[in-house]
Amino acid sequence: MSSTLSNPLRLGLRQERVISPQCLIIFGASGDLTHRKLIPALFELYLQRRIPSEFGIVGCARRPWSDIEFREKMKLKLSNQILGKEKEWDQFSNYLFYESVDLQQSDHVIRLSKRLNEIDKTQATHGNRTFYLSVSPNFYASGCKALKAAGLIDDPKKSRVVIEKPFGRDYSSAKKLNKIVQSCADESQIYRIDHYLGKETVQNILVLRFANTIFEPIWNRNYISSVQITSSETVGVEDRAGYYESSGALRDMLQNHLTQMLAVTAMEPPGKFEPEAIRNEKAKVLQAAKLADENEPWNCCIRGQYGEGGNSSNRLKGYRTEDGVNTNSTTETYIAAKVFVDNWRWQGVPFYLRTGKRLPKRLGEIVLTFKDVPVHLFESTIINPAPNQLILRIQPNEGATFKFEVKSPGSGMKSRPVEMEFSYDESFGEPSDEGYVRLLADAMLSDPTLFTRSDEVEAAWKLYTPLIELMENSPWKLPIHNYESMTWGPPESDHLLSKDNIFWRRP
Amino acid sequence: MKPQLTLQTPLELPYEEISNYLNQLWISEDSDNSGANTFTLIVWQPAWLEQCLVQSGLINGPITGNLSPEIIEVAKNFILDQSLPITTSLNSGELLSLLKENLAKRDFEDYRGQFFESSISTLNPRRLITLAPTLNNSAIKTFVSAYCPLSESSMTQPICGDLVVIRGDSNSIEKKGLKIIDQLFIDELPSWLWWNGNLDESAEIFEYFINHGQRLIIDTALGSPKRCLDVLDQLLNSNKAINDLNWVRLKSWRESLAMIFDPPSRRPILAHITDIDVDIVGDHLIQALFLISWISDKLEWDFVNVERNNESIKIKFMRKNGDTISTTINPLPLGNPSIHLGQVIGLRLISKISDVQKNNTCIILGCESVECMRLEAGGMADMQLIEKVVPNSFSSSEYDVSKLLGSSRGNTSPLFENTIRIALQIFNSFHDK
Repeated sequence: MSSTLSNPLRLGLRQERVISPQCLIIFGASGDLTHRKLIPALFELYLQRRIPSEFGIVGCARRPWSDIEFREKMKLKLSNQILGKEKEWDQFSNYLFYESVDLQQSDHVIRLSKRLNEIDKTQATHGNRTFYLSVSPNFYASGCKALKAAGLIDDPKKSRVVIEKPFGRDYSSAKKLNKIVQSCADESQIYRIDHYLGKETVQNILVLRFANTIFEPIWNRNYISSVQITSSETVGVEDRAGYYESSGALRDMLQNHLTQMLAVTAMEPPGKFEPEAIRNEKAKVLQAAKLADENEPWNCCIRGQYGEGGNSSNRLKGYRTEDGVNTNSTTETYIAAKVFVDNWRWQGVPFYLRTGKRLPKRLGEIVLTFKDVPVHLFESTIINPAPNQLILRIQPNEGATFKFEVKSPGSGMKSRPVEMEFSYDESFGEPSDEGYVRLLADAMLSDPTLFTRSDEVEAAWKLYTPLIELMENSPWKLPIHNYESMTWGPPESDHLLSKDNIFWRRP
Repeated sequence: MKPQLTLQTPLELPYEEISNYLNQLWISEDSDNSGANTFTLIVWQPAWLEQCLVQSGLINGPITGNLSPEIIEVAKNFILDQSLPITTSLNSGELLSLLKENLAKRDFEDYRGQFFESSISTLNPRRLITLAPTLNNSAIKTFVSAYCPLSESSMTQPICGDLVVIRGDSNSIEKKGLKIIDQLFIDELPSWLWWNGNLDESAEIFEYFINHGQRLIIDTALGSPKRCLDVLDQLLNSNKAINDLNWVRLKSWRESLAMIFDPPSRRPILAHITDIDVDIVGDHLIQALFLISWISDKLEWDFVNVERNNESIKIKFMRKNGDTISTTINPLPLGNPSIHLGQVIGLRLISKISDVQKNNTCIILGCESVECMRLEAGGMADMQLIEKVVPNSFSSSEYDVSKLLGSSRGNTSPLFENTIRIALQIFNSFHDK
């Protein structure tokens, strides 16, 4: 007995916050992110009636498009999402404008400023603006300076700047970038986006921990023996070789997405559910995090690079033979690290983080493994009794699983592990919004809760500084291990855990 | 939330000088500090029960306008002492009449309008105007003050506003007070009226606000059901924004019922509902009508007829496929005087998917476990039983008002609009008989 119909009693019950009248200005509007994520997210917000009638979206890039060309290009790119909603798209596309802008040229930015003033009048947006820097990270600093020079971000109440990851390449560059950005705008105006924090299940970690009495008392070193955080992709480098060759798994995933998941998992309860209270706690936990062996970091980190794989019907290329990749590349496509959080709550509990491309499953999860019972009274039906585990699934099939022991049926008192399951699909039956829908709305609502503050970014880079220095100065000490495509990374990664008598969870 | 007092004692001014005084108040060298750019909130604050209790010496003053636990407790005891029915509403005319018989001429402070919940003040109303009608005949007195809500965050600069209290008997408020208010509207800001009293009283004053384009906050638990529905009808027909605290208090019931059908596997139950029972406290049926109307709107049922017997009100609906759904409103006496009349305390929903009893589903929402057990009677426990205890809403009216002010878009919610239309259809059909 199942139905895919939406819940009629739920319709209209959720009171979503309405975005105030404003203009969203997207720099890099001809790039992938704009048509893959940003415009679809804005269209979704429009369909949810969360976009006010006084609104404008101004695409900016170097290409000399007109408003109409920009609208047509977006329509073409989003044709699948628009299917069946053509009328709504036609109305939505009236919000789309385009201005050819090179952020490096001051006369262009001045021209943009005039155009925004005109749009303010036609769209009644009252000079309220959100600037989205969807440009190469090399242009974040100069972009902010150009906006500042044109007086576009002078009013902290009426202007915001959203900056995509990666924010810096290491601790010192992030610090330098923060300094420049903060000289152009107030910290309260800066929204550093990490789309993982927009995911429903990452936010659910906060609810699970702080809205239930049963978890928080055991959420510490007394009951938890280890934590594993995994984010795996099945795809390879695809058409991002240019970016990925200079980035690698550490900068692309570990330093931001996985470390933010660590922060949310390990943070102390905030005094209030308010942006600064939450960000204070996240920053504190990141400042307390350190590599398991900072002096000899090669002992607590494994790097890998995917080789060939697949099967006879679908052979998969190795990383070094992918288009645009150096044939002698030493860029890691897999990284696993062991981290400690040096505070009262987590003293001695290892956090194992891993991420990689061309792994067997697309997956994001956090696994909390609880300590063994002090005395085993019952014989287990398997060789070793399985420890209790709480598995928080970020993607796909968002939800949670709790593994615990029960009596196996039959005479005697043998135990076996079973799973208690919570699935968003089964409980709510409604797909959750894409991370960008939530985060774009939050930025336009001036709600920074799910954005990364400067001290968080710096602390996250500082955590991995010993690894980055090692990779740059003595890369041979942190070698790249080859792994077959569609396997769970190099075998050395298993050794990282087996030294502690632990194994990666095989999802 | 702790109530906030104004930092300074409001200044009593002749009403002719108020407008000028307020204009001067915000002319400052510091151009940033020109007052909050938010909204004006006008509150009709009779606090009749509190005035009667203070004047009859049953409680000490001052009068604040807030329904405190002490007021409720003393009023309950008075009801018992006077051998009134235990379910007598704290707003009932009978109770107030009895209290008025024993009024003593006592001196007391009247802090109405100077004493408001921080949940409202943190929204930074630009201007708070309180209409404070008095029990005794008295001419208009007006008080003004500036206020700055104390922010818990030291980072933010306080955003200040002003408040005006217009005190006098209802007659003088109608004759003079409304003229004063005319001069106090700030044209560029939206203004709200919170009618924190019975909808049966001071109809002319209420009418004034309807005609002056305010966004209205009313409570249809206060006033006779007919008058309340007439007001809703009038507001709906004149396209006024309606915000009803009686509808707001129903939120936990609507949310709890919707929550039951969130899992897709349960949604087929909705297509086979045959019976709904709603238990309410006392016989004020508006909230129950809202609940039933909302369900029928969402499930696309058509209203057929309504009948009343001594114990209950029966309303029939028809599904698109011709099946009939019977709904019943059961007024129940509880062992306590009601603060809000007709609050829903239980809901039973039966869905018959098969002739075999145990394959059918009975959903029970109760505000306390005793209520759940009562609704299980009549063989319902043999069915697949889904039960949920709906938390009692302990929030104060001030808190509910602050939620409305913080989230409303200034129009009537489409859900509520549809609900009102169906509730009116049912009530008019019932009333015409």
